[in-house]
Amino acid sequence: MNRSFSWKKVLFLVLLLLFALWFPRLVDAYFLHLAVTFFLAMILASSWDILARTGQVSVGQAGLFGIGAYAAALLFKWVHLSPVLGMLAGGGVSVVVAALLGYLTLRLRGIYFSITTIAFAEALSVIWLMTPAVTGGAMGLSTPPLFGGDRQQAYYLILGILIFCVGVVWMIEATRLNFAFTAIRENEEVANVMGINPTRYKVLAFMISAFFTGFAGGFYSHYNTYIIPYEVFGLGISIACLVMPIFGGLYTIAGPLIGTMIVKVIEEYLRVTVSYGHQIAYGLILILVVLFMPDGVMGIWRNKILPLFKRL
Amino acid sequence: MEWADFLQSFANGLLIAGLYAAVTLGLTLVLGVMGIVNFAHGEMVMLGAYNTFWLFTLLGIDPLLSIALSGLLLFFIGLLIYRFTIRPILNDPPINQLLLTLGISIFLQNLAMILWKTDSRSVITSYSGMSLSLGAVNVGMTRLLTFLIAVGLTLFLLFFLYKARPGKAMRAVSENNTASWLIGINVQKTYLLAFGVACALAGASGALVSTIMYTYPMVGFKLSLKAFCILVLGGLGNIPGALFGSLILGLTESFVGTYVPQGSGWAEGISFILIMVILIIKPTGLVGTRRE
Repeated sequence: MNRSFSWKKVLFLVLLLLFALWFPRLVDAYFLHLAVTFFLAMILASSWDILARTGQVSVGQAGLFGIGAYAAALLFKWVHLSPVLGMLAGGGVSVVVAALLGYLTLRLRGIYFSITTIAFAEALSVIWLMTPAVTGGAMGLSTPPLFGGDRQQAYYLILGILIFCVGVVWMIEATRLNFAFTAIRENEEVANVMGINPTRYKVLAFMISAFFTGFAGGFYSHYNTYIIPYEVFGLGISIACLVMPIFGGLYTIAGPLIGTMIVKVIEEYLRVTVSYGHQIAYGLILILVVLFMPDGVMGIWRNKILPLFKRL
Repeated sequence: MEWADFLQSFANGLLIAGLYAAVTLGLTLVLGVMGIVNFAHGEMVMLGAYNTFWLFTLLGIDPLLSIALSGLLLFFIGLLIYRFTIRPILNDPPINQLLLTLGISIFLQNLAMILWKTDSRSVITSYSGMSLSLGAVNVGMTRLLTFLIAVGLTLFLLFFLYKARPGKAMRAVSENNTASWLIGINVQKTYLLAFGVACALAGASGALVSTIMYTYPMVGFKLSLKAFCILVLGGLGNIPGALFGSLILGLTESFVGTYVPQGSGWAEGISFILIMVILIIKPTGLVGTRRE
């Protein structure tokens, strides 16, 4: 890992940031809304990738997303907690749940964790449907529009969280955590011998991932003004969380972000053309990436496209 | 009266456990032989169920006959899936096999939604309404038949694994694939056959599913979750464990359905609770030892 400091990179990032800050003035409400959903998805993708760095595959991020969404909505309903604090609380509750779930299942072989997460999200959906007095049941919950319906403020809030999330990923890459995560992913026994407690780091990664996923859930519930268990705990969200970073390229900063952009564009297109089953693209992408492009878009960029420029 | 309720729930649980066992066996076989948890196994069941539904609706073919037809169809689909998707990544890290089979699962679920919509379909035959009374216990005809056939499939698989040469090869490969290769077993062919047989079992169980449950695109996914629970209950990749796990899940669901208020709704969440309980008290499963 050679983290060469280059002015070109800094300049690019500054321009990107300025563009992101200027963006709301350039576009109409539809594109602003689209940007918000893209940023939300990017947060989900990046936070899934944080956990994946330890070699663990969560197939139940929707569980954490839904908990965050409901924590924010319920806290608003019960005590009129301000939305942004509610989102933070959503992230916090998700972290606690992830710590418990992780402690139980991350000690074991990876496959137990994947199986448990998938069942976890489904179980939450059952619990929510069965306790309508507390959770609103199948009818869901609604909240008033975020910031009185001001999309620009919502845009800046989610942009801020995205930058925070990417910043955390960058910190992980720049510190010893990266070595610990990679060692665990490559070989858990060896990592253990080297003095890294695999369970502790895996749970830590899961908790970081859960915070952003829960926060995103809280944001979604306030932004969308309406949540139902089928959707926020649904398999669709769990699958989106993992397909986007895998397609972009795992264990990189840019991979999950680029993957999200491409996958979301495909999804938006399919959503308009087929009424049911537009997630077929997710399945297909997953199959094709595993079979033909093991490092995702980033891998193709690094191995196929960059060498072309170098030769010039 | 209370005693009758108890017996009735016990019978219901037992009957559904037979179906769970048939669904889980293929999953266990692939896990035991190849070390892969096939997330698309439930979708094989779903395809078997749709095949049975369409054969019945369009051509009037009896679901009992479709058990063999669905089994055969899924056997060949299984061979294709193995040859073109799983074989190329057999030596990849386990994460890739998980993601690949998950991808196949999502693909097939959504394909079913696109082709057949999300409607719940059911197969209603001339004997669907019949039931048998044994003392205080009433047993639906299709449920009983389903159970007996599921038990038959299980016995068939056990016979195949312990008596037939290809089945013995599968057990050998699951013990140690390098040693099996050294003594002249064609490991690739054994994997291919194991995957095909597992999908055939899923297809046949799908035919059974279509007669006693609704057939819809997500039915396979729901059954997959139950099968995962059974795997965890029984210890990964062991057949007696899978049978035992099916029994526990079937009975627990049935008793919760009878004795807990609004139990039939809660029963859907039982599989998750069982998974958590087992992981807390005995992560290696209730029977047998851990496979590494």
